[in-house]
Parts: sequence; structure tokens; C-alpha cells
Amino acid sequence: MSIAVKVGEVKLKNPIILASGTCGFGRELAEYMDLGKLGALSSKGLTLLPRDGNKSVRVAETPSGMLNCVGLQNPGVDAFLETELDYMVQTGAGVVVNVAGHSDEDYLAMVEKLDPYKEKIDAFELNFSCPNVKEGCMVIGSSPKAIQSLVSRLRKLTDLPLWVKLTPNVTSVSETAKGAEAGGADAIVAINTMLGMAIDIKTRRPILHNNTGGLSGPCVKPVAIRMVHEIYDAVKIPVVGCGGISTYEDVLEFMIAGASAVELGTISLVHPTRPVEIVNDLEQYVKQNNIEGLASLTGTLEMWR
Amino acid sequence: MKSEYNVQLVNKRVLGDTCAVLTFSCPEIAAEGRPGQFINLSCSKFLKRPFGIMCTDKVSGTFSIGVRKVGKGTEQILTANEGDQFTVLGPLGNGFDFDGVGKLILVGGGTGIFPIFFAAEYASELGIPVTVVNGYRSKADAFLYEDFSKITENFMVTTDSGDLGIKGNVMACLSELDKAITDGATCFVVGPGIMMQKVSEWAMANGLSCYVSLEQRMACGIGACLVCVCKIKAEQEGKEFVHKRCCKDGPVFRAEEVIW
Repeated sequence: MSIAVKVGEVKLKNPIILASGTCGFGRELAEYMDLGKLGALSSKGLTLLPRDGNKSVRVAETPSGMLNCVGLQNPGVDAFLETELDYMVQTGAGVVVNVAGHSDEDYLAMVEKLDPYKEKIDAFELNFSCPNVKEGCMVIGSSPKAIQSLVSRLRKLTDLPLWVKLTPNVTSVSETAKGAEAGGADAIVAINTMLGMAIDIKTRRPILHNNTGGLSGPCVKPVAIRMVHEIYDAVKIPVVGCGGISTYEDVLEFMIAGASAVELGTISLVHPTRPVEIVNDLEQYVKQNNIEGLASLTGTLEMWR
Repeated sequence: MKSEYNVQLVNKRVLGDTCAVLTFSCPEIAAEGRPGQFINLSCSKFLKRPFGIMCTDKVSGTFSIGVRKVGKGTEQILTANEGDQFTVLGPLGNGFDFDGVGKLILVGGGTGIFPIFFAAEYASELGIPVTVVNGYRSKADAFLYEDFSKITENFMVTTDSGDLGIKGNVMACLSELDKAITDGATCFVVGPGIMMQKVSEWAMANGLSCYVSLEQRMACGIGACLVCVCKIKAEQEGKEFVHKRCCKDGPVFRAEEVIW
């Protein structure tokens, strides 16, 4: 009985990946759990140059979730290679490097810089979906053609798996997923946060200084599951499901909908030990239900006709 | 390895209409908590709520926080009864550094008065001479007045209304302090931003080293999510500021490095 999964060629000891932007490079959550028990960590979204991110206020609570507008505060790809990559490797979890850019050229330059370290990296996660920056990211990720064009250029630069993290803030997520597949992506990660707003009724201003932010947490889960299922039906490459996962039952829902693995993170901002607890729960689940391999659940959803 | 603790509310001391001191059983936080550190407490809403630690009792294995109604989360926490269960992360943040402090001036305002109480108690235990200046709205609002009177002889208050202590804000008191108190003193301030800024300016102008405990809307409280950043002067040349995490790099910062 095994909870190991594969996302294309990438082997993970279990389907639990800490989502980019919710775990830094692992250092803080390592104080609360053995990260080596997790499938993988996805790094904080990296940019070519260091970024200070957006001005505070950067968070607003919502029913069953939160809005954030951090704005990709990160030390830049050079500092990542110098101080963070080896740290991520030694945690024992798989290493997914989340790459975000202002332009196509940024993504190309970063993948070129990172590719020589391919022995230490399991996959690139192309962030075409951060809603909190003005250029790149979600702007690219809103157009199937732009996604296809950039993925195909990146495909020529590296043999490492390219996972494309998609935004839900589009008319058709199956179209953007198809664009990624046509460009040569190895997997789709869905979904990034949903664009939202919260208002202070006393000041009549948005609570977030960026005015809008990305919604995450249990409140987005039904939308994420619907989109994972749509994408699973639309493309042949594997899907990594993401959005509001808080329990092992949520993981199972995503896998049944079509996910080969999952990312989670907002829940660890509230309960930092939860990811490892979910791994333990999944182990119990396969034992108790006599399931040979957890991976066999992927895409087993039977729709009502 | 750190944990999220299941804790029980063992005592609730109501302070007026919108405030209470809540005491929880948690031997780990009781043993490790230091002044200036905080805990993140569950409520009926999605995120936890951060509160500065007001005191710890290693013998009974409890810690206390002061809660004032700010929004729905604190409102719900204030309706809790003794025996109710919560989950909590902590102690979090850096806390105040008492190393090399010869004498101390503590300045508190609003809910900052709760963590200032812990600093006053701790400094007294270390034998550091302490002067406390608390700013209240009025006599009716002067919570912990008796508590401070018990642990420190040099306890002064200001009220906006003027019905207790010196009329005005804390600056009215600080500017009149004797040189014997201020010379070579270190100043810890916890309170509203504008108060901390004014006290910082006064302290720096008078050659006192000064530390402030900043506040931001938080999510994780452990440094992972980067939502609670504060603007801190950059050491690197040509760069104006860096965003530091209030929860992990702070909440206590040197006054001269804060960009208000």
C-alpha cells in the first residue's frame, strides 16, 4: 500500500506539495514539522531581481479564507541559488522552483540561470497567475496563445519538467491549459488565487493597499475542484490540484476530480503542522480502505448522466 | 519541534465593557514566553488573532493576554467562558532584549499596556529600575492600574480626559521626567503607531536607546506568508527600506530603524 504518486516523470513520496508563497523556502515551517515527510515544496515565487513586494496592508480575512496582495516579495533568483536552493534540497522534500516574471524575457533568463542546477530541482513551476503584480504573470496567463508561445520558448532551454500554474481569473481554464500543453508543458497546476476585494465601510477604501488581492483558503475549494476536473478532461498532461485543501478528504476529492498531486498552503498559515498530519491521514486511509496505490484514485470521478 | 497547542481558558477577568484579561493553561508557553513576544489565538473566524503576552506563571503553567474588542474575532474571543478550548501558536516573535539594560522607561498605550505589564514585571525580577508611563483615555479606562501600582513604585499615568494622573498624552509626562530617570535609560514602547513614533522621536532626541513593538495585520504569525511586513531602514546603500516581517523579525524593532 503506497501513497506515492507521479506527476509525469516526477516521483513524489506522497501527493502533498506546499504551495508557492505559503511556505517561503521551508525554513519557518521546518520549525513545526519534518518537511522531508512531504511530497515537495514549491518555492516562494522568484523574480530575476529582488522585489520588495507591495505596501501594507497586505491581508484581509474573508469568510473561510483570506485575500493577500504580497506582490512577490522575494530575494531574487541569484540570492535563491546562493542561500535557499541547498536548504530546500536538504529538507528531503521534492524541490519545485516557482518562477515569475514581468516579461517573457524574465522567464527565459531565469530558467537559463536555474537550469545548470537541474540535479537539485525536480520541476519548474511557471507562475503565469500571480494576481498582485502589474506585468507578466497573470497577464501572460490570461491568454492561451501567450502561454503556448512562452512555454515553447522555455521548453527549448531546459529538460526539467515545466509545470504551468494557471489562474482561475479567465473565461475558460481548459483553453489556457490547452495552450500550456500545446507549448510543451509537462503538467498543469490549478488554481492560483482568485482576484478579489474587501472594503472598509468606515473609510470606504479597499482594505488592501493594492486595492485587490488573491483569494485563497477553503472558500475557493469548490471552484478549484471544478476547474481541476475541467482541465483533466481537456488535456492529457497531469494536473496538480490546488485551492483550499485543509484535510485528507479534500486531497481525495481533488485526486478523484483528476489531480495527480495537490498543493496546499493557506491552511498551514493557520495550522502549521497540518500538511504532515494530512500525509499521516492519507497513509491511514489507504490501509483502512485496502487501496493498493493512492495514485489509482486520480480521475476516477463518475459524473451523473 | 514546535507545536500548535490545545489550550483551555482557565480564568477570565473582565475589565470594563470591551476588555478582558484571559488566562490559558499551556505549560510550554508559560515556560518559554518572554516580554514583547506574542501568541496567535484561534477564534471563530478563519485566521488566528495575535496578542502580546501579558504575563506567564510557570508554577501553574499558564499565560495571560489582554483582549480588547476590535472586530468580530476579538468580539467572539471576549464571549468565551472559563473551560472553553482554543488552539494557540507561541510564543512568537523576538521580544524585548533586557541584556545590558541599566534602567528602563516603559511606555504603554491602548492594548500595548498588556505587554508593557509583562516587561515591567520581568525587569523588576531582574532588579532593573523601572519607570512606567501609561497613557489612558480616562480614569474609567485605566485598566491594570492597581496591578502596575503593585509591581512598580515609579508608575505614572496620563489621561486624555485629565480625571486621572497628568492631563494629556504620554508625551506630557515624558517631557517632564527627571534627568535621574532618563539619563542612560532604555525605553520600550508598545501602543498606537503615532504614540510610538512620538516617543521614539523624544527618546532619540534625548539620547535614550528606544525599542518599539510594531503591529500589522497578520496571517500565519510565524514568518511564512509575508503579509505583515513593516518598512525598516535598509543597511544597503542606495536602498531606502526593506520589508521586514513584523511577526518573525519583530515585533520589536529599534526605534531608529523604523520608517513610520
